[in-house]
Amino acid sequence: MVLEATMICIDNSEWMRNGDYAPSRFQAQADAVNLICGAKTQSNPENTVGILTMAGKGVRVLVTPTSDLGKILACMHGLEIGGEMNLASGIQVAQLALKHRQNKKQQQRIIVFCGSPIKHEKKLIEMIGRKLKKNSVALDIINFGEQDDGKIEKLEALLAAVNNNDTSHIVHVPTGSSALSDVLINTPIFTGDGEGGSGFAAAAAAAAAGGLSGFDFGVDPNLDPELALALRVSMEEERARQEAAAKKATEEAAKQEKGEGQPSGTQDAMMTERANVATSEVDNKDDENALLQQALAMSMDDPDSGHETRDTDMSDAAADDPELALALQLSVQDGTKDSSSQSDLSKLLADQSFVSSILASLPGVDPNDPSVKNLLDSIQSQTEVRASNLSSQQKNEEKEPKEDEK
Amino acid sequence: MSGDSASAIQRSQVDLVDFIDWSGVECLNQSTSHSLPNALKQGYREDDGLNLESDADEQLLIYIPFTQVIKLHSLLIKGPEEEGPKTVKLYSNKENMGFGNVNDFPPSDTAVLSPDSLKGKPIVLKYVKFQNVRSLTIFIEDNHSGSDITKVQKIALFGTTVETTDMKGLKKIEDH
Repeated sequence: MVLEATMICIDNSEWMRNGDYAPSRFQAQADAVNLICGAKTQSNPENTVGILTMAGKGVRVLVTPTSDLGKILACMHGLEIGGEMNLASGIQVAQLALKHRQNKKQQQRIIVFCGSPIKHEKKLIEMIGRKLKKNSVALDIINFGEQDDGKIEKLEALLAAVNNNDTSHIVHVPTGSSALSDVLINTPIFTGDGEGGSGFAAAAAAAAAGGLSGFDFGVDPNLDPELALALRVSMEEERARQEAAAKKATEEAAKQEKGEGQPSGTQDAMMTERANVATSEVDNKDDENALLQQALAMSMDDPDSGHETRDTDMSDAAADDPELALALQLSVQDGTKDSSSQSDLSKLLADQSFVSSILASLPGVDPNDPSVKNLLDSIQSQTEVRASNLSSQQKNEEKEPKEDEK
Repeated sequence: MSGDSASAIQRSQVDLVDFIDWSGVECLNQSTSHSLPNALKQGYREDDGLNLESDADEQLLIYIPFTQVIKLHSLLIKGPEEEGPKTVKLYSNKENMGFGNVNDFPPSDTAVLSPDSLKGKPIVLKYVKFQNVRSLTIFIEDNHSGSDITKVQKIALFGTTVETTDMKGLKKIEDH
């Protein structure tokens, strides 16, 4: 969050036509510039960024330091490639532009993209570096493209002359796989001297990882950060619950086989179990809708507690696809708040033919399996018991979910 | 301007260190380990081991804003004989000066320090030029030895405030 005025020096010399960085060196550079501008303005709204080109007919300032991102991006259009890069003049003009910045409280920084050979002497470069240091201007150097002997040496000498307390950095980007922008995102140029990544950088990294056009959940974190955050948090909570559900289900299975008939009474176990019942309906459900509803259901008190012991073999099938399982539970659970509809459900389950047909459709379950048959018997007996114990269980339910969620 | 002895200083002058606005104090080309508070702040400046040192070359540009308007009477600079400052230019009420534009304006006053002054003798300035000072810029142009590093042990400013003169704050200025 440092208040900073930045001048970006772009190399638009002939060497930028090369395609060793996809799609061309110049385009990769332009993408990186866009990212940097965004990151700077995001990290502190009062930051200003300016751009100048070093090659072409001569050093030309495209835009003086401004916080208007649109203006900055617009000036990147229609840039022509040609000529030779003049590093010394470029840096000096950048320094001058920074000197005349409007808000004198801003720290001064120059970011140089260096993609072509440097024709200046090392001594001159060092002198420029010292002058920058004297005027407390920080310098970031991005070395890419042409590598001739002496270029790296000169740039390292420049960095050594400028560097004051690690405020200046150099990044070498080799040709090859990843884009220029991707390499830069992990560097201190973006993460800002150890402050930790700015939110923009993190989001940009996520976007880059997932394909440049895609944002998670179709929401641009930059446009609506709160919504994006809420969606992300709820998805993670869901995933955590599903994992817990799968775990509990396997635990339940172990308990059941040992002959313990204790009701575990966890919501997760119940959901997993119910999911098995309605597996056949899976294909018809809209996943997004189901997930949302399921989230809603979780927050509501679940009155059905009687099914917890019935989830033994079925839990395996459910564990294979916990998301679907939960979705099903949800769809089944709509309207199961009333005890009347509950008894409907239990009646449904008690209907053995229905249950066995469903079991047949489940991938991992063989209806003729003796353990499954035992299960079905237990279901029937339990249903009758449960109807009478409903009210007492309801109270237990309210307590148990709270314990689970801790 | 004369490098007079301390007897020329009037007794009513006050050490202006209390009126310095520390939030706006800046120093260009200072070394990070040897920074301005070493020379300016009460306590640090008395310690001759703690110096303000220059970094890339021998020049230093110090900007000192004040919390209220003051009249500046005299200046005291203490430094080692070799690397202590030689030519010191003072600019009154000029903000945000850089090494580039330091030669664009005539200084309000210039002081050439002798090795004698570097021992801590106050230098009387052109009082008439410093009647209404909101901020002071001190430009140390070179040092005695000509080396790349200029060292300053103490900088003290003496004068009076314009609006109020705090009678309790008036202290006798000892002869050095």
